[in-house]
Amino acid sequence: MIDPPTESTETHPGEIGLVRWKDYVHTGAFTFESGEKIPGFTLRYETYGKLNPQKDNAILICHALSGDHHCAGIHNLNDKKQGWWNNMIGPGKPIDTNKYFIICSNCLGGCQGSTGPKSINPETGNPYNMDFPLVSIRDMVRSQYLLLREGLGVESIYAVIGGSMGGMQVLQWGIDYPDFVRKLIPMATTARQNAQAIAFNEVGRLAVMQDPEWQNGAYGDGKGPNVGLAVARMMAHITYLSDAGLEEKFGRDKVKPNEARSQFDAEFQVESYLRYQGQSFISRFDANSYLYLTKALDRFDLFGESGQLEDRVKAIRARTLVVAFKSDWLFPPAQNRAIVHALLRCGCEASYAELDLTLGHDSFLVNAPDLYQLVHNFLNA
Amino acid sequence: MPRHQIKRETDLQIISEWIDEGQSVLDVGCGRGILLEHLIRTRSARALGVDASLEKVQSCVKRGVPVYHGAAESLLEEFPDGYFDWVILSRMVQELAHPGELIRASLRVASNVAVGFVNHGYWLNRWSTLRTGSRPTNEVFPLSWDAGHPYNPVTIKGFNQFASKEGIDIANTIFLKGDWRQRTSFLPNLTAGYAVYHLRGTSGTWLSGG
Repeated sequence: MIDPPTESTETHPGEIGLVRWKDYVHTGAFTFESGEKIPGFTLRYETYGKLNPQKDNAILICHALSGDHHCAGIHNLNDKKQGWWNNMIGPGKPIDTNKYFIICSNCLGGCQGSTGPKSINPETGNPYNMDFPLVSIRDMVRSQYLLLREGLGVESIYAVIGGSMGGMQVLQWGIDYPDFVRKLIPMATTARQNAQAIAFNEVGRLAVMQDPEWQNGAYGDGKGPNVGLAVARMMAHITYLSDAGLEEKFGRDKVKPNEARSQFDAEFQVESYLRYQGQSFISRFDANSYLYLTKALDRFDLFGESGQLEDRVKAIRARTLVVAFKSDWLFPPAQNRAIVHALLRCGCEASYAELDLTLGHDSFLVNAPDLYQLVHNFLNA
Repeated sequence: MPRHQIKRETDLQIISEWIDEGQSVLDVGCGRGILLEHLIRTRSARALGVDASLEKVQSCVKRGVPVYHGAAESLLEEFPDGYFDWVILSRMVQELAHPGELIRASLRVASNVAVGFVNHGYWLNRWSTLRTGSRPTNEVFPLSWDAGHPYNPVTIKGFNQFASKEGIDIANTIFLKGDWRQRTSFLPNLTAGYAVYHLRGTSGTWLSGG
């Protein structure tokens, strides 16, 4: 049988347009998984669409390591750049704001409005810096839970969706709040990072910490280990792409001859691109947050002490769709498949799709009709 | 009703009758998930499909049928003995490079295995080959040899020999005439166009046993 054509992705979906972020301020003490406490915290978030009267049409979007709460729409009319998942979220889009109430929150430990190492510790009046507690993926998820329950009055989540670090959060959501979430879409993620991913993060952290401007994390406003952070970002950025993707985009193309003034100036387009990525990252990301969040990634381990993924994922009650990208070499398909296999062995309802997108780990961020269709189909089934 | 639809419905009817309420079913080469959707609806089956085609996986997801995108052979390795109540291999074996391996793996992971295939020993298929001197091109194998469509002409006789050699316990067989509707038991290798076997696999010791 041939399926009838689906509507929403075939038509011309609308835009959300102007959006504003909000802050959820939690005034009670928050105890981290490590046992350390902070007197309260703030999460910056955005919402699109409306919570229905049953308060059960919420979809939570979990962002990746360097992402933020701004996943769709624009902040002002001069804004040239839309939210990072604007092609996925909006009226008539795969994550349809006409049907769902969409929430994207910045992570605890981050630096873009949520409480993190650069925030002021109300008890001392100074930034936390390296005194900020070790943050885990579970801590991020629990703070989001408080935002949804206490801040927004959401009574059950229709779906939690996210890629990479966001995918780890999606899994943790399913495990920690099994009766609260109905569908999960973790993509391009892993139940624990392998040695290669930890190794890349460690090189990035050392680049930051060995920059003399790092000052053991106590750098002042407007200062910091910019060189180290840019290098960390450049290297990490390579792991988010793929050989084929880079070749397709840059090949061995060179920059204009008059722009390369000395022997070691950027000569190839790919060098120039990476330098740009590194430079733009330091203007929007805090170096200490980078250290904390990469550590949270490295420590995330659903295999636990038993070494059995099933011991953890058996708690999941939500219907789960795991999505992997063939060209992802940071969290390759095998690591995503391991999650599905464990879920299936536990008798959970799980599906798996492996998309042949060439752009590597970050494929979920690019224009990907197969992915849109899949998410649309799963959410509406 | 188009012939391919009659064939699908016959398949679906026979196999559905064998499956009890609430059983776990893995459909290998599940296509668009029509059989599994039916089993979920009418038998409250705990279903999983597996298919290598993304387009078919999309359709399953759309139907709300859990599906695994990839190769069945490697997926089966992930499950303990007797994990499923049923593995279904419907119109699959004639398209595989190593059908014996898949049948053995299915018998390991399931208490019951349903195998349905077009009988190439059916007299019309023999006549077609005899008359044209070349491979039959029909509804099951619509493409010619050069298009590379896998072609594994399994027959009822051949399948029986395989089962006997492997010591496979055949619990039930259903043979259908060329119209894929009327049953036949007289010289089935000559008179049956389609065959469905119920094989006994590994007894379930895992979750799915009950």
